[in-house]
Amino acid sequence: MEKIATICVYCGCGCGLVLHVEDGRVVGASPSPAHPVSRGRLCVKGWLAADFVHHPDRLKTPLVRRGERMARVSWDEALSLSARRLREIREESGPDSLAILTSAKGTNEENYLLAKLARAALGTNNVDHVARLCHAPSVAGLGIALGSGAMTNPIRSLLSSDAILVTGSNTTEQHPLVAATILEAQARGATLIVADPRRTQMAELADIHLAPRLGTDVAWTNGMLNLIIGRGLIDEDFINERTEGFSALKELALRYTPAAVERITGIPPGDLEKAAAAFGEAPRAGVVYAMGTTQHSSGTDNVLALANLVLATGNVGRDGTGIYPLRGHQNVQGACDMGALPIFYSGYQKVEDPAARRKMEAAWGTDLPATPGLTAVEMMEAAEEGRIRGMIISGENPMISYPDRGQVIRALRSLDFLAVADIFPTETTALADVVLPVASFAEKDGTFTSTERRIQRVRRAVTPPGEARPEVEVAAELLRRFSVTADYASPEEVMGEISSVTPSYGGVSSRRLGISGLSWPCPSPDHPGTEILHQGSFPIGRARFYVVEQQHLPEDLDYPLFLTTGRSLFHFHTGTMTRRTHLLDRERPKATVDINPADAAALGVRSGTMVVVESATGSLEIEARLTAEVPMGTVYIPFHFAEAPANQLTTRTLDPTSKIPGLKRTPVRIRRADG
Amino acid sequence: MTSTTALFISREDLIHLLEELSGTLEVVAPVLVGDEAAFATWRGEALALDDKNPLASPVEFFLPKKEVLFRYVQYSGRYTFSEDPPKARLIFGMRPCDLLALKVIDGIFGADLSDLPYAGRRRSTIIVALNCTSPGEGCFCRSMGSGPVAEGGYDLLLTDLGRGYLVEAGSPAGVYILRAHHRHFEEADIEDIKEKERLLALAGEKMIKRGPFPNPEKIREAIDGADWEEAGRRCLACGGCSFVCPVCHCFSVLDQGVPDGERLRCRDSCILSGFSRMTSGANPRPDPGERLRHWYLDKFVYIPEKTGLFGCVGCGRCSRVCLGEADRWSFFREATE
Ligand code: SF4
Ligand code: SF4
Ligand code: SF4
Repeated sequence: MEKIATICVYCGCGCGLVLHVEDGRVVGASPSPAHPVSRGRLCVKGWLAADFVHHPDRLKTPLVRRGERMARVSWDEALSLSARRLREIREESGPDSLAILTSAKGTNEENYLLAKLARAALGTNNVDHVARLCHAPSVAGLGIALGSGAMTNPIRSLLSSDAILVTGSNTTEQHPLVAATILEAQARGATLIVADPRRTQMAELADIHLAPRLGTDVAWTNGMLNLIIGRGLIDEDFINERTEGFSALKELALRYTPAAVERITGIPPGDLEKAAAAFGEAPRAGVVYAMGTTQHSSGTDNVLALANLVLATGNVGRDGTGIYPLRGHQNVQGACDMGALPIFYSGYQKVEDPAARRKMEAAWGTDLPATPGLTAVEMMEAAEEGRIRGMIISGENPMISYPDRGQVIRALRSLDFLAVADIFPTETTALADVVLPVASFAEKDGTFTSTERRIQRVRRAVTPPGEARPEVEVAAELLRRFSVTADYASPEEVMGEISSVTPSYGGVSSRRLGISGLSWPCPSPDHPGTEILHQGSFPIGRARFYVVEQQHLPEDLDYPLFLTTGRSLFHFHTGTMTRRTHLLDRERPKATVDINPADAAALGVRSGTMVVVESATGSLEIEARLTAEVPMGTVYIPFHFAEAPANQLTTRTLDPTSKIPGLKRTPVRIRRADG
Repeated sequence: MTSTTALFISREDLIHLLEELSGTLEVVAPVLVGDEAAFATWRGEALALDDKNPLASPVEFFLPKKEVLFRYVQYSGRYTFSEDPPKARLIFGMRPCDLLALKVIDGIFGADLSDLPYAGRRRSTIIVALNCTSPGEGCFCRSMGSGPVAEGGYDLLLTDLGRGYLVEAGSPAGVYILRAHHRHFEEADIEDIKEKERLLALAGEKMIKRGPFPNPEKIREAIDGADWEEAGRRCLACGGCSFVCPVCHCFSVLDQGVPDGERLRCRDSCILSGFSRMTSGANPRPDPGERLRHWYLDKFVYIPEKTGLFGCVGCGRCSRVCLGEADRWSFFREATE
């Protein structure tokens, strides 16, 4: 039996785990005791991370559409056909008629090469990935406020916090190792404040639970600021020395009195006061947030309001302080870092910046497009309208994970050519012209970058099934078919190229990455990495306060309830892997809509009743589950299930700044299926 | 030379011995994986014996987390079946707590109708145990009667004396190895034996403050009186306590692949709600607290009823992996005070 230390494939915590390999098969996983985040622990998905690897459904040979059938072909045929079709479309409609969606499940090396494929080979900046649907508001909001969209501190830093505000994060289910760290801090004396409309386990364990109405985050955050300013709990030295724009913020905060906040959010003034006092008085406080904050049409404003809170209290740049946008996928941070975004090259170098472009042109030996590309959701719209005609989707399943599923189907069907690379057949591969079978995390080498900016090594434990290949090889093959040099003997050589063009990864090489990895920025080979950002200064000089107002929330009498979506502890995203993990699927075998018992009584619904949930975009038949975890007026559906895809109901209302769709608040109505 | 005589082997000779043995057997030993000791096939790398007992117990070599019970192939409407024979293995460096865990499992998988795959692996595995001279922080083997000194259940037993190891045989297979490879061993002198006694007494003393042997009745009372709802509120449902436990052995069986495929046996966990949920949807243990209570009852009431041994050997692993920071040992301490 071999044991190989690698990184968990699921969430952004980036736990270290050991794969147990017997006769060329992964037979188990266990936690890595020396790893700085897992410290010998894992969540249930991590313990079972190996279980889907050898599932018989794995894609094993390249497939090409022949009418209604998919025929097995050689790699050469699949790749040459893909290259030819993409080239034909480019000749007819220009490079911006092509697009690539990369995967936050892929390695840094894969994301880098796919972004390079879009820019250097296809000639378009139309490259994006699922971060658009999760932390685009963090990249946008924290980018302008602090100068970097990433988590400021490592997870471990929370152990030294005196107060922790968790908002829009179902931490025990979505980032269990962060939750464990927070609860450890609480046991050591930190005050835990949780703001969540749902009574999650985290809310249940909190010292103070705020339950705001959906979509009112700016109001209560500004309200906390109002009280903190009123009580003189701001950090004046910090504000004077390291920030700008505070006076305008102060004026804004004045208007968010506890009474005004209660009218908007429903939070009793007493609770808000307790939270403000605990946060304001703490010598070291941190803010942890996730999709419940960002997946709103006011996502960027929500993030800016939280940034105001940490800046006003001087909670940046020290151990125990900071702002922690929790990344969903194990490598969504890395995919962003690698420039799988329409406006950035790797390391957030702007495509519009002529100097950055010249540098990349020199490195890649080709001309590069100057105009920013389309974002993920915009790509789907462009596809439906015929402006995008050819697409490569690597390891994403937009049919389940993107908003407004009906539109996604129309968009993907309108494409003249679609190639999809994945490890399992999905609802998206079903629409593809070419399906490319690729290696899972246990079958390839490379690096993932976790939510705390920790760049860590992923190691090949077994060989891919059948003819499946690591995507680094697939991307390199495609690059060569577009006459772009791509002679990489190994993923390490790709990392060599990444570090040569990416200042924040400048000192990273696979050889340097031990069990603790390296946190970026790591500009040079002798640099130890940076665990805590903004210690002496901000990348933008001074941090900035932004005046953000609570959006008016229109009521729609036809759709009196609000649907919010999320994930369960036992599944990951579209369930491609977890639904093929026997013990995980058994925990949550089907989708349900969570309804508050009071709402349910009014509707005549009991647990187990089939109901129809309708929104302006679609409808869905699903089983009801009664629970006080959701407040009155709100219903909740996990989005993992193809049988009851929650995103049939969601809309594409985008946040104006970051273009994230407002997935967390869709007006809906519910009736009994038989009524 | 007899099996009761103690021998001595130097660190260098130990490596030579393992090299020779690995010619005919798969030698499994603790080696460094990701900076920490883990049991894996030994290929001549440095042994990681000074570290804590590895987090993943070597019991997995007898009860794998996932095993193929057999393969099925359909041909012209007929099924044929095939299975792999057990591997000939030597596990080096197994600690006393894991040895006792194996004995408990023998009482379950070996009793009445013996489980064939388990029995096959048991028969084809040689165990070289290692007495624990430096117990880990969370270990309470002494309280559970499993360590730090191994009592039976091994083929060979080693004690680290610093400059080398004292070696004792515990079975005919052990005696055979000592004879067949005699040139690596020398007679131990009386000082070596005294040194062993001294080191093990010291290790035992370190653990004295970790409480006396628990009284089953007191434990039952403690289980009945505990606030399981509160325990359940803090449990993050990672399943780690049962996945890591060397005594936990629940499994589920599933067939993967149509028409050809494999029948798999996989580790399961009573901490997961799906374990006790019935097809109708009803669940006799719907809350995490109730499942935790069951976990303790199994270890301290049901398994002892069946095997005469506790279902816990005090290895401390469940506390190491707990995401909810439940320190099992504090529970036992309260139960026995
Ligand atoms: S917390 Fe996240 S990274 Fe850690 S084991 Fe669970 S899913 Fe994997
Ligand atoms: S219950 Fe805990 S301490 Fe006891 S044997 Fe199992 S893992 Fe070890
Ligand atoms: S290890 Fe702890 S958190 Fe995990 S299932 Fe067991 S009691 Fe719950």
